[in-house]
Amino acid sequence: MINLQDIRDTARDLLASGEVRAVIGFRSGSRGMAAEPAFITRPEEADELVWDPTCFHNLALYLVEDRKFQAHARANPAAPIAVVAKGCDARAIVVLLQEHYFKRDQVYIIGVSCEGSGVLDERKLAGHLNGFPATSAAFDGDDFVFVTAQGEQRLPAREVMAERCLECREPYPREHNVVLGENRSGRELALPFAALTRFEAQSPAERWEFWQRHFERCIRCYACRSVCPMCFCDECVVDSITYPVTAETTAEEKANRVRWIERSATRSENITYHMTRAMHLAGRCVDCGECERVCPVNIPLRLLNNKMEREARERFGYEPGASIGGPSLVASFRDDDPGQFIR
Amino acid sequence: MEKILHKERLDDWIAALSDREILSPALEDGVWAFRPAGAAVRLDYPNTTQPPKGLAFPQREVFFSFEQVKGEAPLLRQTLPQVAQRVVFGVRPCDGRAVPRMDKVFSDHVEDPYYWARRKQVAYVGLACQQPPSSNCFCQSVGGSPVSSDGLDVLLTDLGERYFAAAVSETGKALMMAGESLFEAATDADRAQLQGAHAAALARPQRAVRDPDALPSKLKASFDSPLWEELARACIGCGICTFLCPTCHCFDINDEVTGAAPLKGKRVRTWDTCQFPDFTMHTSGHNPRENSGARLRQRVSHKFQYFHENFAMHQCTGCGRCVTGCPVGIDIVSVVNKVAEHAG
Repeated sequence: MINLQDIRDTARDLLASGEVRAVIGFRSGSRGMAAEPAFITRPEEADELVWDPTCFHNLALYLVEDRKFQAHARANPAAPIAVVAKGCDARAIVVLLQEHYFKRDQVYIIGVSCEGSGVLDERKLAGHLNGFPATSAAFDGDDFVFVTAQGEQRLPAREVMAERCLECREPYPREHNVVLGENRSGRELALPFAALTRFEAQSPAERWEFWQRHFERCIRCYACRSVCPMCFCDECVVDSITYPVTAETTAEEKANRVRWIERSATRSENITYHMTRAMHLAGRCVDCGECERVCPVNIPLRLLNNKMEREARERFGYEPGASIGGPSLVASFRDDDPGQFIR
Repeated sequence: MEKILHKERLDDWIAALSDREILSPALEDGVWAFRPAGAAVRLDYPNTTQPPKGLAFPQREVFFSFEQVKGEAPLLRQTLPQVAQRVVFGVRPCDGRAVPRMDKVFSDHVEDPYYWARRKQVAYVGLACQQPPSSNCFCQSVGGSPVSSDGLDVLLTDLGERYFAAAVSETGKALMMAGESLFEAATDADRAQLQGAHAAALARPQRAVRDPDALPSKLKASFDSPLWEELARACIGCGICTFLCPTCHCFDINDEVTGAAPLKGKRVRTWDTCQFPDFTMHTSGHNPRENSGARLRQRVSHKFQYFHENFAMHQCTGCGRCVTGCPVGIDIVSVVNKVAEHAG
C-alpha cells in the first residue's frame, strides 16, 4: 500500500534541497472526485499532493510540454524536473528517452507502483452508482471506497478498474530515481488484449461496420492526440497551419500545400486521422489508455493501439518502454526479423 | 398555453407530428445523443454529451461548390441547406437558453443564411431538470434556472404519471395543437403541483459562480494577470470544452479540393476552437495567443466579458459540460471564482 506521506515527503525533500526545479504530481481537483495534474515548485506545496484511484493522467505528457517550453525559451535549466510516475507513465518516459526527446538526467522519476490496484474507470463506476455522483475515491486493499450523497460504498477494485489496468503486466515503474510501493508486476487481473481478442473473432465485414459506426461520431476535438505523450510532433498532419512558414513562403505555397486530411469531421476524414495516429504509435504506445479515457464520445481507441502493440510483440518480440538502451522498433533491423518482402 | 399530457400519450403526440422529423436523446455506444426518435421518445436521460447546437450550426456546413476550367471564370453553386421541419425533444433548460444566444451571434450585423435555413426549421421541446443532471451544473449562477423556458418552444415538467406542458412560443402552440385531443386542460391543482415541483427543483444545490454580475469588470481588470497561465498549466489544448459547449460558435472556412483539372471542390465551414494552438496563428507564423493561459483567458472572457459587453448577457448557460469533459479537470466555475477573487 502506498503511503501518501512518502510521496509528499519525497517531493518536499527534492524541492527543499534544490535537487529538482519542480514536481509534477496529482492534487485534488474541483471537478467531481477526480484528481488533477499538479505542478509544484515550493516545498510547502508538497502537502497538496494526493494519491488515489482517480490519478488517471499520464504525467509524462507534461515532461514533453516542459521540454517544448524550455526549447522555446532557449532555457537550459540546471536542475531536472521531477514527475510522479505509475508503471505506464514510466514506460512512456522510457520511450521518450529512447527517442532522445530529453536526456535521462533532465528528469527525476518518482516511481509509484500501482501494486495492481490501478486507476478507476469513471464510466464503469457510473454504471455501479446508478447516477449518483461520488465525491471521493480511495484505495482499501482490493477494494475502492467511494463516498456518495447516499453514503459510503465499497466496490471490488477489479469491477470498476480501468481495462488497461486489469490487463497491465507491469504496474511497477522499472525505470525510476526513487520508487514507492511494492513490486507486484506480473499480476495481471485479466488476460492482455482481451478486448482485441474478442474484436478479432468477428468477420472483416463486422469489424468494418464496427469502426465505421464508431468513427462516424468522432468530433475531432483531438483530445486523444493532445493527451498522448507520444504525440509530440511540432507539426501534425491534421493541423491546418502548423507547417513551417518563413518570410520566403509564397501565397501559392501556402495555398497549395498538400493536405492529407480535411478538417471536416466526416467519416472518411475521421478514419484517416485515427489510422494515421495509430500508425505513428506503432511500437511506441505503452497502453496508458489515456486516449480512450478522454474521448468524449466513447470511441474504443485502445483497440487500435492494442492491435499495433500485439503485432510488435508477436512478430518482433518488441515491448515499448522496456529499455532505454534498446533500439526502437521502427528504427531497428535484425537479420531474423520476419517479412521476406523487404530483403 | 398550459396543458396536461399523460405519459402514455407522449408517443401518440409524436405520431401526430409525423410530418416532421423527431429527435430525442438516445444512448448509443455509451453516449447520450440526439437521434431520430422513430416511434419512441426517451426522456429518462441525464443529459446529452453534446447539446442540440449542431441542428442549427452543424460541425460541417457546405457553403458552395466551385468548378473552374483554367483560363475561364469559376462557376459557383451555392448550397443552402434544405432541411425538413424538425422537433427535438428533451432539451434541457441550459441548452434552451443557448438558442437565443446563438441566434444573436448569427444575426448581429449579418444574418447567416446557412444558420437560419436550419434554425427556422427546428422546434425545441424542453424538459425541466428536477434533479441536476450533472454534479457540475451551475445554471442558476448565470441567470438561468433548471425550469427555465427561455429559448424553448414547449417546456415539459414531469409530474409523475403526467407531463405539465407549457407552450412558450407560437411554434410551441402549433406543436401542441397538432395533438390537441391528447392533451387535457390544466387545473389549478396541476398548477399548484407544477409550482411545487419547480420550487423543489430550484432549491436543489448546484455549484456556484460567485457574483456573476461583477465578472465583466473583474475579467477586464485581470487581462494581464499571471493567474491565467497558472490556471491553464494542465491544459492539453484539445477542443472538448468548446465542442461540447452549447454556445461556442467559432468556425473555420476551408476549400476542400476534389479535383485539379478542372479545379473542383467545395467551400466548407467547420467548427474551430480558440483552444487549438493554431486558432489565431498568423500566416507570418506569429501567434498572438501563444500559450494555453492566453487561450483559456479567451474562452472564459468571451463567455463572461466580451459577450456581455456586446449583448448584455453571459454567454455561458451553466450546463457544466466543459467541466465534466475536460480530461485534466480545468473547471470554468473555479476558474472564474479564482480570477474574481484575485481581481479583488
